[in-house]
Amino acid sequence: MNGPTSSHDLSQPTADTRRSTKGVRGLLGKYGPAMALFLGGLVVWEAVVRMFDIQAFVLPKPSEIFQRLLDQWDVIAGVTGNTLLEAIGGLVGGTVSGVAIALVTVRWSAARDGIMPFAIATNAIPIIALAPIVNNMFPITSPVSKMTTVAIVVFFPVMINTARGLTEVDASELELMRSYAAKPSQIFKRVRIPHALPYFFSALKVATTLSIIVAIVAEYFGGPQDVLGQYILTKASLFVYPDAWAAIVVASLIGIGLYGVVLVAERVSMSWHVSLRALDEN
Amino acid sequence: MSSDQRSTMKPVVEARDLGKTFGTGSDAVEALRDVDLTIDAGEFVSLIGPSGCGKSTLLRLIGDLVRPTTGSIAINGKAAEQARLDRDYGIVFQKATLLDWRTVTENVQLPLEIMGEDLRSDKAAEMLDLVQLGEFRDHYPWQLSGGMQQRVAIARALAFSPSLLLMDEPFGALDEMTRELMQQEVLRIWHQTKTTVVFVTHSIPEAVFLSTRVVVMSARPGQISQQLETALPHPRTEDTRESPAYYDKVTEVREALRQRP
Repeated sequence: MNGPTSSHDLSQPTADTRRSTKGVRGLLGKYGPAMALFLGGLVVWEAVVRMFDIQAFVLPKPSEIFQRLLDQWDVIAGVTGNTLLEAIGGLVGGTVSGVAIALVTVRWSAARDGIMPFAIATNAIPIIALAPIVNNMFPITSPVSKMTTVAIVVFFPVMINTARGLTEVDASELELMRSYAAKPSQIFKRVRIPHALPYFFSALKVATTLSIIVAIVAEYFGGPQDVLGQYILTKASLFVYPDAWAAIVVASLIGIGLYGVVLVAERVSMSWHVSLRALDEN
Repeated sequence: MSSDQRSTMKPVVEARDLGKTFGTGSDAVEALRDVDLTIDAGEFVSLIGPSGCGKSTLLRLIGDLVRPTTGSIAINGKAAEQARLDRDYGIVFQKATLLDWRTVTENVQLPLEIMGEDLRSDKAAEMLDLVQLGEFRDHYPWQLSGGMQQRVAIARALAFSPSLLLMDEPFGALDEMTRELMQQEVLRIWHQTKTTVVFVTHSIPEAVFLSTRVVVMSARPGQISQQLETALPHPRTEDTRESPAYYDKVTEVREALRQRP
């Protein structure tokens, strides 16, 4: 430093809001309200069902659902595993192909002009309507048919968002790279791909939720019986509603779980991003 | 590389009848017409003029970021494209254009990485010391003030020792106080590195304070209307800003800007 004058503007880094999430008190402060609302909701639900003597086929008591979940745990865990496999298989397939096509369209404009109209058309198709047909494209016991349907649904948001992130680069950043005579591959690695990460993760969050939904709905259209969709369908047709509800609870939990995995991956791979900085300060 | 280029005594920048028109047909906009400009090694040349005078376009022609429509431009005696491929110049924009996911040091190393140079060298540290940001080497850009970010951008532009430094309104987004400090910094760096500087600005006092020569431009179409040697002694300090010679030169540039060519 050259004394006080030249360090004038060095001494004040832009302050970020500091929010403490450390310790039990911090966690309570952050998640307390949501937990309270959740538990309160369950209590109200239980009370309303008991008070008005609502029948189980309309709405079972949470306590009953929980009891059935424990009783049926082995079966539910088994079918959930199978459904999860379909969802993850399709999620991975759809994500990998979505990213690959996005990279190709951004790198070669001819590819973009050729592929984009079809990609957009694909999005307009109500893909879930294809599920019964896709189911019959593969052997009846194979999980690949469900994976395929999931992959088609996941592909579009991942592809479009990633392509958008790869192209939403500041013009001056590209001029800078041009001034270094950087090769296209260097520009991708150092500028475009980091810019695309936030877009990619936004799409992936949507995609994880979609993957579970689409896998279960595709299962409704037939195939192996030991999957969540068929379990729910069977229990509902036998009027064993608390069991069906228990399976729905588990389906929701794996959806939340997958979402959580994506959140952690996002956090790890782009801790520099503006949306995550407040957490970083701790 | 840069030192022997300088010793050949070729001008660093030599533009002849340079013209640039964006678009074609009825949408065509003539940004620059008949620009002749020679810049010798070691000069500090400011391009000043109203918006639309093509000063930024001229800078981009020098950097081969846009191609001329007419005329020719040579950098260090080579075609502008060759000079860019040879990494003859570093550039600083109005926005610091730092990559958010890289630390200060990693940002300064960016050009070295792309050029395949050895990152184990202390070049980045040396550059950060030059811009007096040594202790912020592990910070991220968003942890720095605007002035500090622009210093990092300057360190990055100079990291590979280019013979020419192009600056496109680099302090335009800074407050007046920071701006004057940065002007001092740039002059100090210019003295220390002996780099030729082409500096685009719309601030008359800034152009006069920094430059050895002020190139005054006029708009529609962009042309050079006058070139004024500032002839102020070096080193320039805060006292320079209060000297009569400085005032006179500021007035002279202001009048030149007012005239139509």
